[in-house]
Amino acid sequence: MSTKVAIIASNGGLFDAYKVFNIATASAATDAEVAIFFTFEGLNLIHKQAHHSLPLPAGAEHFAEGFKKANIPSIPQLVEMAQELGVKIIACQMTMDVMNLKKEDFIDGIEVGGAVTFLDFAKDANVSLTF
Amino acid sequence: MLPEIRANVTLDCKGLACPMPIVRTKKAIDQLKAGHVIEVQATDKGSLADMQGWAKNTGHHYLGTVEEGNLLKHYIRKSKLSETKEEKQHPYTICHEELATKMTGEGKITLIDVREPAEYAFNRIKGAISIPLGELEDRIKELNPDDEIFVICRTGSRSDLACQLLTEKGFKKVKNVETGMTGWTGPTEQDNSK
Repeated sequence: MSTKVAIIASNGGLFDAYKVFNIATASAATDAEVAIFFTFEGLNLIHKQAHHSLPLPAGAEHFAEGFKKANIPSIPQLVEMAQELGVKIIACQMTMDVMNLKKEDFIDGIEVGGAVTFLDFAKDANVSLTF
Repeated sequence: MLPEIRANVTLDCKGLACPMPIVRTKKAIDQLKAGHVIEVQATDKGSLADMQGWAKNTGHHYLGTVEEGNLLKHYIRKSKLSETKEEKQHPYTICHEELATKMTGEGKITLIDVREPAEYAFNRIKGAISIPLGELEDRIKELNPDDEIFVICRTGSRSDLACQLLTEKGFKKVKNVETGMTGWTGPTEQDNSK
């Protein structure tokens, strides 16, 4: 049976996005089954507009140049790659209701679900991560 | 003459950061035929450990890495599913201990390594002759049917096929080296590499 990786993304900054999508794409490319549950500010990472311009943490703005210099792929590129590799993206319904967001506000190809949707996947995961 | 490291496909990942070399390698290897070797060129220093970990988890065979300045050339051979499951058919085998004894003994022995040149280049038993399985039939004249011949590969699968072929062609004293290079603790040699 293949490795299962379950990730919770609950923060909405650029650093958070890289942590989530780097691990997700690397796992998927290594034949793992990957699901990410996006909740609260984590929803930024898959929001159609927001995920193009995620903020760097206060005081870390100067790292923008470092990302460029090291030729790091952009977040939209990583998201696309993750989806191509079969990473399952689940947006949290409850947070969406609180923030008044619709499924159409997010990138294509996502699922919307509650906590149990994620738990059902995560219950027999080999690796569980929270960012 | 030592064979050069030959790859069927070269993948350019120069200048790419983690996880791109891994993602690209995965995509490229999906298109590759089992048994073929891919050369991944990367400048990401982390790719050295990543490639090894990736191969371990996907079941493909990490052959080794050559370093040229800042450039890392990783060699990976695509495994086939059957490679670890296939049933051995050639009835005569030899274990590592017996082989090691034979090699230090007086009689002349012939050890044929039927892996791909890239695998042979990185790690082989000293004195082994490289004849990749795919070339064996064409090069069979290089061998004497009356000699005692030992055949080795990585796990014992390809060498089993080679033993069957040799037997079919009238070779009488052919033995498959059990478990192949896997677990061999005797002396080995390699081409210049990291």
